[in-house]
Amino acid sequence: MRRDWDGLLPRTARLADESYLDFVTSFRARAVQQMYPMLEELGNAVVGREHPAGTAPGIAEIQRSLDALPLVRVWQRFMRSHQEMMWRRTRASIAAEADQWLAAMRDAEARGPGRLLYDPAFVVPDYARVEVHLQPGGYTDDPLGGPVFHYGTHVFYQGENAQDEQHVEMARKAAAPRDGAVRRVLDLACSIGQATVALKQRFPAAETWGIDVALPLLRYAHLRAAERGVDVNFQQALAEQMPFPDRHFDLVLSYILFHEIPWRITERVVPEVARVMRPGGTFCIYEFPNASGSLSPVAQFLIDYDSHDNCEPYSREFVRADFHGLLRDSGFDVAPGPKVANGFLQSIVATRR
Amino acid sequence: MKQAQAPLGAEIEGPGRRYFDDVVIDNLLEAMLELTAAVWTHRDRAMVLEQVLSRLLAESHGAPDIARLLEQHRPTAEEQEARRLERDALVSQVFRSFARRPAADSAPLGAGRRYQEPRPRAEQAS
Repeated sequence: MRRDWDGLLPRTARLADESYLDFVTSFRARAVQQMYPMLEELGNAVVGREHPAGTAPGIAEIQRSLDALPLVRVWQRFMRSHQEMMWRRTRASIAAEADQWLAAMRDAEARGPGRLLYDPAFVVPDYARVEVHLQPGGYTDDPLGGPVFHYGTHVFYQGENAQDEQHVEMARKAAAPRDGAVRRVLDLACSIGQATVALKQRFPAAETWGIDVALPLLRYAHLRAAERGVDVNFQQALAEQMPFPDRHFDLVLSYILFHEIPWRITERVVPEVARVMRPGGTFCIYEFPNASGSLSPVAQFLIDYDSHDNCEPYSREFVRADFHGLLRDSGFDVAPGPKVANGFLQSIVATRR
Repeated sequence: MKQAQAPLGAEIEGPGRRYFDDVVIDNLLEAMLELTAAVWTHRDRAMVLEQVLSRLLAESHGAPDIARLLEQHRPTAEEQEARRLERDALVSQVFRSFARRPAADSAPLGAGRRYQEPRPRAEQAS
């Protein structure tokens, strides 16, 4: 028997799952909010001592310097272990109610509101079929991936996004076109549709779409939207090859997409977004920073650790890439976007010329 | 849907990573995490149990002393067997790391250790 929902968040199958994952959440908060700042202070000091001002040590040199701090290895061990614990228990908890989840998603697909479009012959590209963040089956290969992702990221956000607060903030602050006309909105790589629904609520008259490569996430996105009676459409599609006409959208939002795809794909996605946007339309981007030169040594170490040990295989090349240049070359004027609660992310408003 | 290239959960069910030269340290730290998770899970359940019992029994038995009732409880053989199985599962959960990474070379080194150059023998001996 389902233990129901806490607002927008599903309850775990068993109290024991909730207690275990609450512990993992508390532990993560400690590792992120207390251990990491300590590591940052000590680590930057160590690297600074070994590399005089004016020199820019590479990641290998940074890691060699940090190796002297026992805290670094303990922190790495704890980050990896708690992430594994989180996915192992979340997957087991959702799987205990697999039949109910799958039936609920099928029912939502049949009744709406909103549509879920996909082609059974759709082939997921290999670059997308990785166990991102260590999630079992990644985004694409586990039929239960949607609810698993949702509860897992609830732990990741340390409970601060239980009611989609961060997605609502990003949708609420997304820059609308100067002329105010918003008839069609796209949530690019929409995942489980948290921002898609928030965008529809902000622009209720607009036709709102969410696309993603991952059908398991889209099925769950559609279930969540349908349960709330929100009329949004979801479609399985590639961001680099979208099924929309030229100049179709007034506003496009992407949240932490580009560091999760290879740079060679990003070089195709950005011109494709330009194609489907009308002149004056706004592309609102919330993303990893991509100016590695301005990051502290420990921040560079963190991104490298996350890439290698938390299965973010493409983030390192994104961080080093000229993303703003690609936007400009693809037909956008680039300006800073609104500040959001997650201060790690860069916020960009790219206006289609 | 295509089959996954690797088994579902290959990242979290494989050997994972090690970060210490002595893999036992990795395993001990992971066991400590699992142990603390287990302690909290059981403590949380006990707190919920006492709340639920108090609320239920307040209606029929006034304000019962839950702690005294728990101390006086006599388990049946079936209950004892069920509790043994739970206990064994807890032991497996806490100490799974030692079976997962039994040897120094049973997991790849983590990111922070990839670039360490081998030390000369003389330095290792010192």
